[in-house]
Amino acid sequence: MSRLRLFVVLLLLPGLLPAQILKEFEKKVTEFTLPNGLHFIIAERHEAPVVSFHTYVNAGSVDDPSGATGIAHMFEHMAFKGTESIGTTNWPEERKALDAIEAAYDRLDAEQAKGPRANSAQLSLLSNQLQAAIEKAESYVVPNEYPRIIEENGGVGMNASTGYDATQYFYSLPSNRIELWYLLESQRFLHPVFREFYKERDVVQEENRMRVESSPQGKLIEDFVATAFAAHPYRNPPGGWPSDVANLRVRDAQAFYAKYYAPANIVIAIVGDVNPAEARRLADRYFGPLPKRPAPPLLHTLEPPQPGPKTAVVYSPSQPLLVVGYKRPDERDKDDPVFDIVSEILSGGRTGLLYRSLVQEKQVALEAEAADTFPDGKYPNLFLLFVAPALGHSVEENRKALGEVLDQLRARPVDEQTLHRVKTKARADVIRRLDNNAGIAALLTANYAAYGDWRKLFTSLDDLDKVTAADVQRVARKYFVAPSETIAYTQAPTAPAQENGQAATAAGARQ
Amino acid sequence: MTRFAIALMAAAPLFAQAPKPAVQLPIPTVSELKFPPLKPVQIPSVETVTLPNGMKVFLLEDHELPVIDGIARIRTGNLFDPPDKIGLATITGMTMRTGGTRAKEGDQLDRDLENIAASVESTIDETSGTVSFSALKENTDAVLAAFHDVLTQPGFREDKIELAKNELRGSIARRNDDAHGIAEREFANIVYGRDNPYGWQLEIPTVNRITRADIVAFYQRYFFPANVMLAVWGDFNAADMKAKLTQLFADWSVTQPPVPAFPPVRQAAHPGIYVGVKPDVAQTFFVLGQLGGVLRDKDYAALDVMSDILGGGFRSRLFQRVRTRMGDAYEIEADWGANYDHPGLFRIAGSTKSASTVETIRAIREEVERIRTSEVTDSELNTAKQTVLNSLVFAFDTKSKTLGRLLTYEYFGYPKDFIAQYQKAVAAVTKADVLRVAKERLNPDNFTIVAVGNPKDFAQPLDTLKIPVKDIDLTIPGVPR
Repeated sequence: MSRLRLFVVLLLLPGLLPAQILKEFEKKVTEFTLPNGLHFIIAERHEAPVVSFHTYVNAGSVDDPSGATGIAHMFEHMAFKGTESIGTTNWPEERKALDAIEAAYDRLDAEQAKGPRANSAQLSLLSNQLQAAIEKAESYVVPNEYPRIIEENGGVGMNASTGYDATQYFYSLPSNRIELWYLLESQRFLHPVFREFYKERDVVQEENRMRVESSPQGKLIEDFVATAFAAHPYRNPPGGWPSDVANLRVRDAQAFYAKYYAPANIVIAIVGDVNPAEARRLADRYFGPLPKRPAPPLLHTLEPPQPGPKTAVVYSPSQPLLVVGYKRPDERDKDDPVFDIVSEILSGGRTGLLYRSLVQEKQVALEAEAADTFPDGKYPNLFLLFVAPALGHSVEENRKALGEVLDQLRARPVDEQTLHRVKTKARADVIRRLDNNAGIAALLTANYAAYGDWRKLFTSLDDLDKVTAADVQRVARKYFVAPSETIAYTQAPTAPAQENGQAATAAGARQ
Repeated sequence: MTRFAIALMAAAPLFAQAPKPAVQLPIPTVSELKFPPLKPVQIPSVETVTLPNGMKVFLLEDHELPVIDGIARIRTGNLFDPPDKIGLATITGMTMRTGGTRAKEGDQLDRDLENIAASVESTIDETSGTVSFSALKENTDAVLAAFHDVLTQPGFREDKIELAKNELRGSIARRNDDAHGIAEREFANIVYGRDNPYGWQLEIPTVNRITRADIVAFYQRYFFPANVMLAVWGDFNAADMKAKLTQLFADWSVTQPPVPAFPPVRQAAHPGIYVGVKPDVAQTFFVLGQLGGVLRDKDYAALDVMSDILGGGFRSRLFQRVRTRMGDAYEIEADWGANYDHPGLFRIAGSTKSASTVETIRAIREEVERIRTSEVTDSELNTAKQTVLNSLVFAFDTKSKTLGRLLTYEYFGYPKDFIAQYQKAVAAVTKADVLRVAKERLNPDNFTIVAVGNPKDFAQPLDTLKIPVKDIDLTIPGVPR
């Protein structure tokens, strides 16, 4: 008991150390791995009778096969379509109807594959047959039964996301309904069904039109990333390329599931009013039947060294936007904490150098932000700078102003007060993130997946504490250099080429 | 002791012990699951006190984390903007904090607060002003002092007023860059009418006219102790905090006449299809609807259930039809917009590829007609009610939510148990109620329909809907096209 008291007392002391925050939190955590490799992290918070669930699948759009980009995202959508018992009026008949769709689609594909020798009357017939098969299968569907059950049972925050590195599924329930989550979550990954696949493919295309094709920022970022990466699949948008998505097939989703949804590639966090022994018992019962499968293959493609600076121009009638990226190593590199500190120095709060210089002093920007990792962290990626120029101020002025801020970082070490400030903020941020179940669940899984231990959420603070002013200067000098730079900006279609010979960096321009 | 034992087990990882092979129990179906009753929700007690200067204070201890937060709510709002200086309330809200205090420049305040990972922020929105603070417990006194100075002695320095105007001009210039934003904004402006505070918008000329004297006068009119409610929650002792706040605000005693009521919303229909042409998008962003109501309306629960069945989630009619069956949208939703004090907006919103614009609008109109002319099913009603009732526990899952709700009820003059009354009212809603309120309150002939996108790519022209079509002028005064 004395140890318990000691922690509480320490927690109240000023200048809280990461190790103490961790020890306090560790008391709430239980973790276990099922024989099939599925890992669970349980964190108890009994403040209210609610509980949050977070399933983190360590596979994302980087794992999309060539020609089938968007399949990780498509599978994520299919995971809400139900199971062999949820969402159907007659599974045996529905299954036959689903097989018939694939057979009809294969016949259509085969005719299309004849290219110039394809018979147009035959194509139209096969296309009608496919449509009829789809409608037949739909007649067995109870639409959206799976999410309806969650909503009806008081589920909130239900959603999923497909990122470059990972796919995540999450929601919260009243804590007397924990077993419902076990049932629903295990069944959708034990027996995925691919019902309404081709209608959902239309929905996914609408999602891409909304997020990317109808958004100046979406278009800019898509082209920026595709320019920065020549080989690594970070170059592909997380939702896939439109022509790939339009041709995705059920078998692509089945293959992706078989390869990447191995239990050992998934980690689950349950946070809230939960009993760890009960959580373990239910995990064995519901997730135990998931067959053990080999871990997915490693991704071998490495981005080759960048030969020189690159520029992408995106025509848009909107007010201008500018993004600049510098190649950086992955999140497990020893310099990772230095990048965290640099991004805080640049854009943390109102004292960040970018805000102070570009927004407050020069008033050339409306917004200027840095991100330490982009588009994701598992593989070498980009340190990102994003600027929205102020009305009447050009992209070129902002590039220059950005350059001056980075020069400052390269020229001399930051002062100790600044360094102390960003470290204090990092520590306070970790404490503040511990105030809601869903947020904690997301952090525990992400840290476990990236670093092999959820404790990294706390011990990363030790890594940050060790960063010195000299480290900041060294990293700025090493990484923020022209050959690893990619610049992208929007420009009105009618505008002449940028003044001041900016386009002269065309050596690295994208073809 | 139990918690301590678990800590030790976590230290020696559980997963090191091989679990004994369990007998596999059959997996039940959803309907076979039996749930134990939900544990009672602990509703925390909030201490309420009025300081000698008239400020009303709500205190809630929460010792889970070593942090303290607070929010002051001031009765003001941009509904009080003068017509020739629209943006005055917004700029006042921005510069209260950025313009520093009598004693400190804003930049110094930035550094002092961020050095201790604390924040003080201010803003004025449509129907209230807020000044909030947040800090680690160890910095309680420092953050309270800064909060006090921002609330009671803002400096409104000229350079930060200029900066705020620059930021507003920049955001006005960007307001047509996002098609979704255009649709929502124009819908609201058309339904409320552009000639009154609910429907007018910031323009560069109105922002340019605002002076420091206007800002100071606006601040002085609305920021006085009797017009402030302050909620503080976190790791403190309520009695100590009460004493601290009494002493801290003893120097603030200005008075002003009570703040008048907000202007009423004009009840007028603006039927028609309003088109915003935006050539660089692949979808049409649409909003259909009319004026909604207020939360204290006796039919609010029935209206909420009705709009939920129509477009409130995966199971709703619009989601089923437009997204799942037609594959024509990713986002599609309906919401009976009810506000605390003035009618909100009943809106059906989403986006679809340009080609399917007209078929989507037609399908939505059919669903509105259906819910107005025939009863919903038992299963729809039951699902909608269960969804509301079972998720109600999440309104109490953090102490700060309870406090925030209490503050809001107090601010708008609602009963403290409004959420319990709402719960009861939802449980009592019948199919007949849903049909009656849909019939009485939805008036699709008078719907305002806003569509922003590329009409040249629509598969069918809008006039096939047989509703008058008007263009929206998206010119931004003061910005070269």
